[in-house]
Amino acid sequence: MMQLIWNGLIVGSFYALVALGYSMVYGIIKLLNFAHGDIYMLGAFVGFFTLSAFGISNETSIPLLLVILLLSMVTTGLIGVGIERVAYRPLRRSPRLAVLITAIGVSFTLEYGVRQIFGPNPEAFPVRLESRGVDLLGMRITASQIVLVVIAAGLMLVLAHIVERTREGRAMRAIALDPQAAQLMGVNVNRVISTVFFIGSSLAGAAGVMAGAYYGSIDFLMGFVIGLKAFTAAVIGGIGNLYGAMLGGVLLGMLESFGSAWFGGEWRDVFAFAFLILFLTFKPTGLLGARVVERM
Amino acid sequence: MAAGVLALTAGCSGGVAGGGSEESEDGPIKLGMLAPFSGSESAFGAYMQNGAQLAVDEINADGGVLGRDLELVVEDDACDATTAVAGANKLVTEGIVGSVGGYCSGATLPTLPIFDEAGVPMVIPAANSNELVDQGLPGVFLINGTGDQQAAAAVQYAEKIGATNVAVIDDATSYSADLAQAFTTQAEEAGLSVVFEATVTPGENDYSAVATQLVGAQPALVYWTGYYQEGGLIVRQATDAGYTGAFMVADGSVDAKFSEIAGAGYTENVVGTFTQTPDMIEGADEWIADYEELAGDPPGPYSTQAYDAVRVMAQAIEDAGSTEFEEVVAALEGLEDFDTFAGPLTFTENHTLSGGGFVIVAVDPATSNFVLEDDLQG
Repeated sequence: MMQLIWNGLIVGSFYALVALGYSMVYGIIKLLNFAHGDIYMLGAFVGFFTLSAFGISNETSIPLLLVILLLSMVTTGLIGVGIERVAYRPLRRSPRLAVLITAIGVSFTLEYGVRQIFGPNPEAFPVRLESRGVDLLGMRITASQIVLVVIAAGLMLVLAHIVERTREGRAMRAIALDPQAAQLMGVNVNRVISTVFFIGSSLAGAAGVMAGAYYGSIDFLMGFVIGLKAFTAAVIGGIGNLYGAMLGGVLLGMLESFGSAWFGGEWRDVFAFAFLILFLTFKPTGLLGARVVERM
Repeated sequence: MAAGVLALTAGCSGGVAGGGSEESEDGPIKLGMLAPFSGSESAFGAYMQNGAQLAVDEINADGGVLGRDLELVVEDDACDATTAVAGANKLVTEGIVGSVGGYCSGATLPTLPIFDEAGVPMVIPAANSNELVDQGLPGVFLINGTGDQQAAAAVQYAEKIGATNVAVIDDATSYSADLAQAFTTQAEEAGLSVVFEATVTPGENDYSAVATQLVGAQPALVYWTGYYQEGGLIVRQATDAGYTGAFMVADGSVDAKFSEIAGAGYTENVVGTFTQTPDMIEGADEWIADYEELAGDPPGPYSTQAYDAVRVMAQAIEDAGSTEFEEVVAALEGLEDFDTFAGPLTFTENHTLSGGGFVIVAVDPATSNFVLEDDLQG
């Protein structure tokens, strides 16, 4: 039981980090950025490329992981800003469907671009976390899992601080409420949207590096399923709501963990996406989505 | 026949039943190969293509078949049913008279009726699900050991190490589920108890739920019947969760990437069931050198089977004296003790090998590669 909760929390941390970017982007420009899962994949590959370039393999050092994490976050953040500039900004006044289709196109471009460069085979991530575990309170906990949860929680705290306590955060919330009014009040809308893409993408990139270090295997399609799962998490939590994305991610991780324990591993995705359908049907605003004032 | 020739030269794919796949009497004899050149299994496609090409080159250097040259035509199946069907149709329109491809059983299965309808006999080098021959199509021959034979090797090894409680995990693909089923049946027949059976979804990263359940079931040996990416993750996550028994993986997981993904120190308990590869076979050095000269890389899994598939097909066409479907099939059925890497080949009534040729391999920590551990002889 405790083990199931712990397993769910680990998976949920990944979902939450990716769901945040989904939710932030949706909150501010009402775009479902389906390329977001692939940013997660890019994060892992940026880490892989950098480490391989320095000839590093089979390392277990946490400081090294943190350096790579920061580097990947900056890189994927800039890529996210670039994607918004090139693919989404020119379409900002187009019908939403056009932007959505563009997002899917961006997703394929990233996936198969990476395949062209790194090849179609799965690669082993060069930095791994020591993961032999200890038994505690009926759970088996490993050092790598603790590192993972701490990093994820830390990133989310920083994000909450930025959104709640800084001028930039206030501008984001203002645009989410009413972009035109915000612009009239002197908010530089383009710059704020770029910032949102930077933050969202760097969180996904961080999740990608952490997944590489924790699971050890990366491939060019690794972002596809997690993109859909993160979307599900964002919907469950209330899309557009930051805390909803965090809550939704952890909740989805738990649901999957319990679902596969009860019905068997092959039912895990059925279980997860059945919840997406249930929420879209009965509570499309999600758990926290009703608090419109908090939206961003 | 004449209609068939016309249809083919016009590049039409439909309804060319019962032979008539020759484009002309003096052009090359075309053999088609579907193999994965993209997707998660793409490494195997190159191994197979190069093995087959080596056989084609050797046969052509010796004067070809029926006085004509052989030509290998490859198409990507991406280990995906839809892509494979498109590839099979393309090969048929290109006028192949024999198919020597097929790696993923799930992708190979839907191509069988296409080749059958076009009158193309199939010698399948790698795919080995029992479903492939269970359909009873006359032109399907398997030269890799089947799931049943592989499961028999797995059960034999489990008995040998004294594992009475065993578990099996599959990835829901045709090959994997089939092998898991065969393993369960044979293990129970042998008096072992199967204490845990699970199915996972391939392409995910987190298998902690299955790992936790596996630890709870406490088997002495668990058999993973899927491919290497998930296999490496499951071994690592189950070990982290506290599993201490033996791990056995099927041939789809026997790859150096498996140990890289699992990570250093996680493969001590890992063995695999596998058909022999050139480096395990004595006296294959010269063959390996030839292969490296052609491909630039050392041979890998299924290079020898693809090589043998071409040779078996060529021999049958030569014996038949024609490329007509019925005659080639009869010649394939008539092959007796044909010399291959897996030993003398004679097809059974089901068109499978009489002997499976499966051995047990284990990870060499120095190179991450799987090397021969136990040939299961005695």
